[in-house]
Amino acid sequence: MKTPYAMLDVAEQATDTEIKQAYLHKVKQFPPDHHHEQFQQIQQAYESIKDLSCRTKYALFTLPEADFNSLLDHAFSSERATSISSEHFNKLLRASIDDKRFIISVPELIKAS
Amino acid sequence: MSEIIVGIDLGTTNSEVAIVENGQVHVITDNGRKILPSVVGIDDQGDILVGETARNQYLVYPERTVKSIKRLMGQDIKVDLAGHDYAPQEISAIILKRLKAIAEQYVKQPINKAVITVPAYFSDAQRQATREAGEIAGLEVVRMINEPTAAALAYGGNQAQQKRMLVYDLGGGTFDVSVVNIEAGVVEVLSSHGDNHLGGDDFDQQIIEYILDHLSETKGVDARQHSKALARITRAAENAKFVLSDQPFAIIEEEYLLEHEGAAVHLSLELSRLDYENMIEDYINATIDAVHIALKGAKLTASDIDEIVLVGGSTRTPCIRERLFDEFGFEPHSEVDPDLCVAMGAAAQAAMISGQKVDAVLVDITPYTYGTSALGYLDGEYYPFKFVPIIHKNSALPIRKTEAFATHHDGQKTVEITVYQGEDADALNNIKIGAFLVEGLQDVEAGNIITITLALDLNGILQVSAQEKASGLEKSITIQNALSRFEYEALDTARHRVNKLFGQADTGSVVYTEPAKTEQPDVVEARKLVAKAQDLFDKTSNEDKEDMIDLIEDIHTCITEGYSDRLKETTTKLADIIYYLES
Repeated sequence: MKTPYAMLDVAEQATDTEIKQAYLHKVKQFPPDHHHEQFQQIQQAYESIKDLSCRTKYALFTLPEADFNSLLDHAFSSERATSISSEHFNKLLRASIDDKRFIISVPELIKAS
Repeated sequence: MSEIIVGIDLGTTNSEVAIVENGQVHVITDNGRKILPSVVGIDDQGDILVGETARNQYLVYPERTVKSIKRLMGQDIKVDLAGHDYAPQEISAIILKRLKAIAEQYVKQPINKAVITVPAYFSDAQRQATREAGEIAGLEVVRMINEPTAAALAYGGNQAQQKRMLVYDLGGGTFDVSVVNIEAGVVEVLSSHGDNHLGGDDFDQQIIEYILDHLSETKGVDARQHSKALARITRAAENAKFVLSDQPFAIIEEEYLLEHEGAAVHLSLELSRLDYENMIEDYINATIDAVHIALKGAKLTASDIDEIVLVGGSTRTPCIRERLFDEFGFEPHSEVDPDLCVAMGAAAQAAMISGQKVDAVLVDITPYTYGTSALGYLDGEYYPFKFVPIIHKNSALPIRKTEAFATHHDGQKTVEITVYQGEDADALNNIKIGAFLVEGLQDVEAGNIITITLALDLNGILQVSAQEKASGLEKSITIQNALSRFEYEALDTARHRVNKLFGQADTGSVVYTEPAKTEQPDVVEARKLVAKAQDLFDKTSNEDKEDMIDLIEDIHTCITEGYSDRLKETTTKLADIIYYLES
């Protein structure tokens, strides 16, 4: 199963405008009149990542490590190493934080502590 | 060469047919007219009249004439036309058949396929009925597209610049508003809203009521009882509406409207634009509310809109432009004729489907939410008919969505699935559009998973299926309003009936020809004159029109009764008037 990002050929850091352009490009390639199935997949992909709140929802539902309980566990168990990989943690942060100024990548965070 | 597909705007008041030729959209004319009035009549010979002639006959023979049939599409009723009952699909088919013939005469080859436009807010039943009308007329409806979307295609299909457009479409019987994004060669409908029963006909009706009230107050007559007088009042009201688009006042005058207690009743009154605007204010408010609902659906505000496009003859009403100006702060566009842009967009879409290279790709949506009902909680109370939306309003088409449900009690063998259209959390407040039973479920505990899939195709027609997850037992139906639905055989019968009206042999597509006449030369002559006189109605003073109508009635009587001497006399009189009018 392709991710919506792969479906639309966009990077996971793509902006709203870039995603919209990629979507329009794909629709032009696979118009609904002649490509019913592909169009629906493109449409679904676009709707799941078209804006920040959609991307957050998508991230929360698709990254298993983003489970709230495991995050809590993680927070309480100071002994154990992180149960969430830094890469996923980073994705989650990017997906949920609107203002880029607040985003510090995990490696930096670890370094700082 | 690929098969020709025409684009048809089947309107409440007027219809048009268009095709794409050498990359250019062309609205096909019939005797120099691009617009065919959506009026069907049967003359006293039993011959079918469509368009202008039928519209003119309406004054003389309202009972032999049907107008605004589109308002009845999708309903299980019959209309009377010269003593026979017809379904709305059949009347619409007669109009479509005429449009088909007009196009066939132009391209000089049979046409069997069409893209037909429907109001965005047309329900599933209304769409089905439209498709059936096409089938009866011998046209395969390859696609139904929404009218505002077609208009957006006509306007924005070749625009390079990104643009957000609001299409305000107020026709004779229906109102639609759509928000459309045009970008990178894609015409993308973001949201639609509307009203299936709001249009210029309602404006006419307000003026008609005003005239009827005036007559009963000043003359003590109830003109509702006189079908011919009512037909003339209807025409007068419509004319007054047209006048008020340009003038601050309209004079409504109809002499010798009817006879009351042995005396002639003349109608004469004045209507100001201000009074007229007050009469229709509630309707206009309703359209502006719909504009806001559509904007909200697209998650936009008025300031995000770059352009307003007006579609439909009723948008000529000046106060509509004013209200839109107040809301948006700029003037709406109407460069493309508001009466023609829908047909033009339909032709563009037809060209796209037939594989011609076109600039724009269309992404349309459904204006309705579809779902089913289930046991649940409504306002904190246990409720058996909670609405569970499956396909949401403003979703792009085509779309397929599946939702899982569970059986309620142990050993449940059947489950009834009802499909609703609407937004209310209480399913019973929504429109029930179909139901079916899934039987023979496995004998298991409560919680047996049943999945329900709704699929909406590009024409906005819904297909529903249900599956018992464990066994794979499946049942599916295409939602067809059981009430208005024609069975296949009924459709075939209707096709024969309509063909017979046109005096055609039942051999597929036949290029339209005038029915053969075997009448006396004097009768043929008289008929020609009558047709000529009716064509002059629009340019004639009311007084002359009265005289002509009287003479025409007399001529018809002479023909049916066979009074050849009196026929000669009246024909001469009518010829004199026509001579006088034309000189």
